[in-house]
Amino acid sequence: MAKRKFQLSFTPDLVNEPITYRMVKDYDLQINILRAEVNDVGGKMLIEMQGKADMIKKSVEYLKESKVEVRELKAYVKKDEDRCTHCGACISICPVEAMCMDQETKMVHYLPEKCIACGTCIDACPPAAIAFKI
Amino acid sequence: MKRTYEEINRKIEAKDAVVMTAEEVLELIASKGIEKATKEVDVVTTGTFGAMCSSGAFLNFGHSEPPIKMQHISLNGVAAYGGLAAVDTYIGATELRNDEDMSYGGAHVIEELVAGKAVHLKANSYCSDCYPRKEIDTFISLKTINQAYLYNPRNIYQNYGLATNSSDKTLYTYMGKLLPHYGNVTYSSAGQLSPLLNDPLLRTIGIGTRIFMGGGIGYVAWEGTQYKTTTPTKNGVPVGAARSLALIGDLRGMSPEFVRALNFQKYGLSLGLGIGVPIPILDEEMMKCVSIRDDQIYAPLLDYSVASRNRKPIKDISYADLRSGCIELYGKQVRTSSLSSYYKARIIAGRLKKWIEAGEFTLTQAVAPLPKERSQKPLEVMSKEDVI
Repeated sequence: MAKRKFQLSFTPDLVNEPITYRMVKDYDLQINILRAEVNDVGGKMLIEMQGKADMIKKSVEYLKESKVEVRELKAYVKKDEDRCTHCGACISICPVEAMCMDQETKMVHYLPEKCIACGTCIDACPPAAIAFKI
Repeated sequence: MKRTYEEINRKIEAKDAVVMTAEEVLELIASKGIEKATKEVDVVTTGTFGAMCSSGAFLNFGHSEPPIKMQHISLNGVAAYGGLAAVDTYIGATELRNDEDMSYGGAHVIEELVAGKAVHLKANSYCSDCYPRKEIDTFISLKTINQAYLYNPRNIYQNYGLATNSSDKTLYTYMGKLLPHYGNVTYSSAGQLSPLLNDPLLRTIGIGTRIFMGGGIGYVAWEGTQYKTTTPTKNGVPVGAARSLALIGDLRGMSPEFVRALNFQKYGLSLGLGIGVPIPILDEEMMKCVSIRDDQIYAPLLDYSVASRNRKPIKDISYADLRSGCIELYGKQVRTSSLSSYYKARIIAGRLKKWIEAGEFTLTQAVAPLPKERSQKPLEVMSKEDVI
């Protein structure tokens, strides 16, 4: 079982395409929609795919063929280790516990595999050590 | 058993002093007890790194040719005080570059000076026979100017209230981002490592006490503003904000590692500052003071959606519970965040310990004590007659 996160961007003509249904039905994947935004210029979706590794690969090919822009997200925010003071202001506001305090070293660690790119931590960081990764 | 400052300093100079941090000494006390620990340890070091809003720097630029009496002064676009002598100024940490963009201000200027960077100075003036120059536009750095020292009217609060938010919208406060419906709890004391919690009655800390300040050397200058001794206590330490110190220290020798501009979004700026205070173990009483642990130190939880100076505490919570990452509130598990860095507090106590062990830092006996009794007054809107 593999688990990967992707950002899908699509144009308005694709909004009516049942892409998540196809991914579930044809590729036997569990799709978890982490964020979704649709407006008059198209849409963006942040999803987590869970399933067989080759099926995830094939579904990405299907998406690309359907003209969906696919970008894999391995880390969404960047923590500047020189600016971070390890205070922990980011910890309690992260909805998915992607910021955690090592109770031994008292250092704050960022766990990219948990991050859903909501950005809540960015304006909660007093030394301005966190930014979106471009 | 008793020890004097002189005895401790003789041992420090001989590089023979036994020094432990306020965290390390807890293990020794737990295994050997107060009496034996007192015999073994000469000095206990404390540390804290947190937002200290009431901070700022006095600077003297030197005289230009022809000279100017600086009246309106800016440093990297941030206003500095122009009401002192010709080329003296004070730049406060919370001063904003402009009201729309709260992301840069006095704290950043101070951090950049400490980092050795160039800072843009602009000033103008009325003219006088003494000071004929109208304006100046130049760059300065710690290399070019004369005196440059922090003078902070209120630092290292002895404990502080905890923050939460009962309302249905996110609040942006000096206690950080507070999520709606009691979504989180924030706190700001270094607890068992915090300087003033390890000497709660300030028996060894007073005017003239030499300290670790921002990575360099500083001194206790005065009682801090809003210093008060009336806060209720539990286990011998105040539950909530109580004493504070006014501190002074040379910017030269400080490091950006311990002097950091902080931006509390939609609230404003503050200065993240690292302070460490050595506690001489004069007798068993002092060892008892430094034996305080996070599970014995409590702070009151306040609802920041009540925008009033008279917030009623919801309950008192221990730092051990706060540090566990989660506390119980109204039957719900609520996650916690610290706003002061325990990681850096530990480094500071460790650094100060090394300085003392190496014979580079001796202890000072206070030249005058700080107030034993002090209450804090509110500000009321009153008539001219009422205030007399």
